[in-house]
Amino acid sequence: MSRSPTTPLSFTSKPDAPRALELDRGARDRVVVGVADLAVSKDPTKSIITYALGSCIGVTLYDPIAKIGGMLHFMLPDSSVSPDKAVANPPMFGDLGIPLLFQKVTEAGARRDRLIVCAAGGAEVLADDGHFRIGNRNRTILRKIFWKHNLLVSAEDTGGQHSRTMTLRLADGAIQLRVQGKESQLWPR
Amino acid sequence: MATLNEAILSLDRLPALPSTSVRLVAMLANGGTRADLREVEAVIRADESVVASVLRLANSAAFGTPGRTFSLGEAVRRLGTRTLAKIALETQVSGRLADAGVSYGLRRGSLAESAIGGAIAAETLARRHRVDPELAFVAALLRDIGKLAIDAIAGPDALERIAAQAEARPFLAFEREAFGADHAELGAILCERWGLPAEIVRAVRGHHEPPSPGTDPVTDVVHAADCVARWAGLGLGCDGLLYTFDAGARERLATTRDELEALVADVHSALAPAGINGFSSGLPNTRNAA
Repeated sequence: MSRSPTTPLSFTSKPDAPRALELDRGARDRVVVGVADLAVSKDPTKSIITYALGSCIGVTLYDPIAKIGGMLHFMLPDSSVSPDKAVANPPMFGDLGIPLLFQKVTEAGARRDRLIVCAAGGAEVLADDGHFRIGNRNRTILRKIFWKHNLLVSAEDTGGQHSRTMTLRLADGAIQLRVQGKESQLWPR
Repeated sequence: MATLNEAILSLDRLPALPSTSVRLVAMLANGGTRADLREVEAVIRADESVVASVLRLANSAAFGTPGRTFSLGEAVRRLGTRTLAKIALETQVSGRLADAGVSYGLRRGSLAESAIGGAIAAETLARRHRVDPELAFVAALLRDIGKLAIDAIAGPDALERIAAQAEARPFLAFEREAFGADHAELGAILCERWGLPAEIVRAVRGHHEPPSPGTDPVTDVVHAADCVARWAGLGLGCDGLLYTFDAGARERLATTRDELEALVADVHSALAPAGINGFSSGLPNTRNAA
């Protein structure tokens, strides 16, 4: 695993994918989540980061006691549009990726009843005639699944037209967003 | 704020597209016949990065003959003119775009990756909608070439500052206000100067705002492909999703939500072996086998 050779504590959905981001080369404290990808870590020296959330949504789960966290970057709401990709790459879709993220963080030792859930992304193109609304439908699947799991989203920054970068700091669960060159903290508020 | 004149002048400072790329575009626009094979081979042999791309594809699983390694000559015969021309062009254009898009806040390689993702989407859509797939591929590959000109005019974070202050409206309008022309128009002017076919110039010009009433199916396809690439998270800078999906183009293509979403998934998967995060080489991958 090129991403974190020193930390068997981390799980990534695509261990063999090349990871060497120009910006992150040498930045060993970061676990990068690609598009249609997820990562879980219990290494408190690390952050999990994902770039360029447009209509895609970044979801984080964090257990503040165990200091275990995970992040998913899903692209599309519903896996039924592409059954072969659903098998090959479940983190691509909200309906499969969110339950998988749950599974991976609880397997790593996080407790369900302590999970803090945050989400960012789900932007929309300006006028798509109400026809595609991928960002909107990504937001809907997110709410549906968390409702089904009886969990509330603690903080979210979704919608609009901008691209977002999202970071989860495993030491304390802080969620940072970068939108249009501006940094802000999504959680804790 | 720059004027249209300055924007046009900035085009003079940009290095021209290599003449071999221009030839490849012309071949593809004419359907890439067998007669062009020798010329394509010469282009490939003259460019190490293209040789690497061709060998990688020919020896990839998609052409699967496990345990055998093909030489360049064998690879050329196996892949055929059109695939070779596309690999060569894709490698040259993505090399050109590798550092582009800084004024949009794009990371290195992002714009090249988005060019290739859009080209894959456009080619697939074109096949389905009876549009010339090679033309659609080339036009989509070059659609954001005008961002090189914006990079040359704007400071590193000029666009980010403009976009941060603005309400939600098409990003092209910001570009026109700030620079006198938008990246689609500047890209079209560049393609015209390089002597590329008129269909490609039109599609680059109209890739965000296809002309209405639509009489140009290549433009419609490239427009839809651009949105598909954005939905796949490609090339998202400070312009984000500040573009429209033209209702007229959607109706003319008669494309459905499911079709485009499946295409978003396909585009992502086609790029993933090259490392959607770690994209740096611009090397194409096995999708050209299709």
